[in-house]
Amino acid sequence: MNTDTLTHTDTSSQVSRASAAFGWAAAITILFNLVLASAKDYYPPLNKAMAALTGHHWITHGLADVVLFFGLGLLLQRTPWAAKTAHLPAILVACVLAAAVGLLGWFWFF
Amino acid sequence: MIAPTPETLIGPLSLFVHAGSGVLSILAALWVFKGALNARRENAERTRTAAWAVAIFMAVAWICGGYWYVHFYPADKGMILKGPWPFAHTLFMEIKEHLFFVSLILAFYLPIVVRAKLYENAAARKLALCVSLLIVLSGLAIEGAGAVISYGVRVAYIHPQAKITHP
Repeated sequence: MNTDTLTHTDTSSQVSRASAAFGWAAAITILFNLVLASAKDYYPPLNKAMAALTGHHWITHGLADVVLFFGLGLLLQRTPWAAKTAHLPAILVACVLAAAVGLLGWFWFF
Repeated sequence: MIAPTPETLIGPLSLFVHAGSGVLSILAALWVFKGALNARRENAERTRTAAWAVAIFMAVAWICGGYWYVHFYPADKGMILKGPWPFAHTLFMEIKEHLFFVSLILAFYLPIVVRAKLYENAAARKLALCVSLLIVLSGLAIEGAGAVISYGVRVAYIHPQAKITHP
């Protein structure tokens, strides 16, 4: 049996543990991205602190997203609840829509 | 005619590679979508290759776009804000530069999703369809925003007020 797969996923109705864990990590990172984009725009000292870290706030922002995604993904692979994947596609769609609408709303109105 | 030098080429080159690799990433994501839609044992390896292409092209778009954004965009931004289309920066660039990370994360996630046998795993197939389609749609939105930003610079250069301050 594939060690990357949970014992009850060989029925082909569930995705692998890695897919599930990194799926949740992607959903959380997408929301974190929205929150960080709004926060650094609302609070200039945060923007400055992020810029001081790497030379530009956007570089820090991108690296934070990527590190969070891979870090959370690796961490969640060890937790059993990450295997709950029935609604993962819908959750990802909802998170991307929230990010798009949230960014549009934030930069349109604020 | 002024001969181009490496210094004058690196700016536009990084911008063109950014946009070009973004398009290639979208096309590769479309390939993954098609591969997942018609998932068979025979096309599984091609679909996995396409998923890696999505991630690699998106990473190239990130690095080249970031290089251009950090080193060359500030001058364009100044022009856009003085021109008749300031929203090309205040709305479109602000959304684009942050929405890009959504596509980037999904692009890095896609190769993990398609490691599964899509042809015999309905859940993995559904996830691959969803993630690849999200990359295509968000990628197209980002490409469109890039076009608006580019036009924002163009109209600023022909705007009388901008001409006065930037001959």
